[in-house]
Amino acid sequence: MVMKNPDVEFCGYCITHPSESKINFRIQTRGGLPAVEPFRKGLNDLMGVCQHVLNTFERSMKEYRAQREEEMQ
Amino acid sequence: MAAKRGTDEMRDRVVLGEFGVHNVHTTDFPGNYPGYEDAWDRRRFEEAFRVDIIREEEGALEFDMVGIDAAIANAFRRILLAEVPTMAVEKVFVYNNTSIVQDEILAHRLGLIPIRADPRLFEYRNQGDEEGTEIDTLQFQLKIKCSRNPQAAKESSDPNELYFNHKVYSKHMTWVPLGNQTDLFPDADFRPVHDDILIALLRPGQEIDVLMHCVKGIGKDHAKFSPVATASYRLLPDITLLQPIEDEAAEMLQKCFSPGVIEIQNIKGKKVARVANARLDTFSREVFRHEGLKNLVRLARVRNHYIFSVESTGILPPDVLVSEAIKILMGKCQRFLNELDSVPME
Repeated sequence: MVMKNPDVEFCGYCITHPSESKINFRIQTRGGLPAVEPFRKGLNDLMGVCQHVLNTFERSMKEYRAQREEEMQ
Repeated sequence: MAAKRGTDEMRDRVVLGEFGVHNVHTTDFPGNYPGYEDAWDRRRFEEAFRVDIIREEEGALEFDMVGIDAAIANAFRRILLAEVPTMAVEKVFVYNNTSIVQDEILAHRLGLIPIRADPRLFEYRNQGDEEGTEIDTLQFQLKIKCSRNPQAAKESSDPNELYFNHKVYSKHMTWVPLGNQTDLFPDADFRPVHDDILIALLRPGQEIDVLMHCVKGIGKDHAKFSPVATASYRLLPDITLLQPIEDEAAEMLQKCFSPGVIEIQNIKGKKVARVANARLDTFSREVFRHEGLKNLVRLARVRNHYIFSVESTGILPPDVLVSEAIKILMGKCQRFLNELDSVPME
């Protein structure tokens, strides 16, 4: 999500040691923007994506079940 | 035009070559391709995204997610495997175990039995809390004793005739309500999902008397808490015939793929091959073993079309599991947003 932001010049992560659950996440912007902004925007966009996926999935489940009910009758 | 087609292929197909796979990684980021609008656009995503349910059976669900990136689809798969909580036996208090099965082996087997209890009704146990309260623990009892059948025939050697209760099944586990659980769950029926899981074998005189505490946990902690038998996805196959293939070559081509993928039509007396249903193929790459057919077919996968297959252990239906997984990912994003807001930035 953060990579899809045109203001971000560099974005990457690495796991410091497999036994510790810690990730070093680096975001570099093209000057001007504080780097926290793409991070925040990325998180908000990801929330939006998840919400949309959830709505679409539940709607598809309802339609599928309704269609199967009709076929059974 | 050819150049544009080439970049289109690079952007949205993963090509399977003879000796390797090409164009594996997502490259459609802003700035990579001049002339393409790659910045994140919510409306474009919502228009292109769709979910198609293919099949729903007892405990198994197959559905398609189209228009989403690999990282997010993989995140859903990983959360389904490791972070959707369930209830499972964690502590086993052994009062009497004179069976052949050792205490720890018996406890291990009891832990792996799936328990039909909706984990959303319970809380996680606090760390360091040894006793467990009624809001985070389910108690089960297994008390069984094997005895000899006095009415058995003298010469019979069938254990079903000779002994009572010599096979300990999961249906012998009974729920013991704690505290006010009878009021909280008046018509609930907490028991193992399957009644016929064999736990141990006994002979006359042996008995098992254990008390079990079930707690809520996630698959990351121990695999017994994983709610899915398995959750996997594959990309939609895309087979293109680069030249028309006829007669014997068509017959050979049909044999190279899974049944139903290639169909042979009779056009003006000649047998011509056509790709009927690429979705059924499992990509064994048999085509590459035939010199004549190798260069006439292009095997590829569509990069953003995921065919998910989720099989549940029976605790929760698979569509509920997928919804819970998506909600868990949202919860994680929210937690980070809250952290960002609370920590002061210079």
